[in-house]
Amino acid sequence: MKTLAELRKIREKAQENMKLRNSTSRIKVVVGMGTSGIAMGAREVMKTFLDEIAKREMNDVVVTQTGEKGLSSMEPVVDIIEAGKTTITYGYMTPEKVRKVVAEHIVNGIVVDDFVVATD
Amino acid sequence: MQDLSLHVLDVIENSVRAGCKNLWIKIEVDVLKNKLQICVKDDGSGMSDDLILEAQNPFFTTKSKRKKKVGLGIPLFKQNAEVCDGKLTIKSEINKGTELVAFFSYNHIDRMPIGKIGDTFLGSIIGHTEVDFHIELIRKENSSKKEFILDTCDIKKELGDVPINYPDVITFIDEMIKEGIKNTYMEEV
Repeated sequence: MKTLAELRKIREKAQENMKLRNSTSRIKVVVGMGTSGIAMGAREVMKTFLDEIAKREMNDVVVTQTGEKGLSSMEPVVDIIEAGKTTITYGYMTPEKVRKVVAEHIVNGIVVDDFVVATD
Repeated sequence: MQDLSLHVLDVIENSVRAGCKNLWIKIEVDVLKNKLQICVKDDGSGMSDDLILEAQNPFFTTKSKRKKKVGLGIPLFKQNAEVCDGKLTIKSEINKGTELVAFFSYNHIDRMPIGKIGDTFLGSIIGHTEVDFHIELIRKENSSKKEFILDTCDIKKELGDVPINYPDVITFIDEMIKEGIKNTYMEEV
């Protein structure tokens, strides 16, 4: 059984970690979660980002959900927002593509051109 | 939408867009009464009576940037409830919040499966750290009652200054939800 007491251990470890590293978020990932995005598999895309963040212990990446932005035909859509850089929008995302974007773009800073549908 | 958990996600997103601070989600299965009920309640901006009616119209949306004015979320959910002797009702009050209740005949052949409801909860909790989620899963069968409660207020209190979207916390919440769903037999795929 998972208990809230376990959170205390996580909290202590996290506080140690946050002291050592600069924990301000470096990258914001926004997953489009409007009706059409959901119907096209946006929840699996979201879940894959969360699994990758947990697995790689990336405490400088924040993932959020948002409504649609008028790119319905390209769903599921994901924005990668980084201070001082152009926002990259990836379209037609799948869990497999998410893992590639995490490894190449978020970890190594190289945009995955093949999946880009918009920039601004 | 392939299952009920995706409809729940869609409704959660509506509540968040209505600026809610709290979301109460209750899913209750009563096998003896052949009942499955999903209730999503928020403290968002609320809707007028006219808007409640409009929300059930497939050619209505509040999203102003859209060229094609369609909003299929609620109408599809309602239809999926009605095809299995169920119904969907919305109650709302301006500046107070909205409550959506979907009711299904549990063993109806056309009832959609619940689906990966855990992924709906985890994604929404981590994707909207500013909202507090009060989740309750209940299963009544014969004389037994199984219950799972998850309240992000309690989690945030334990965490103090550590954010709820911290990697280890995500794993913790994921596992906690999975356990609760297993104990209440809520996941059907």
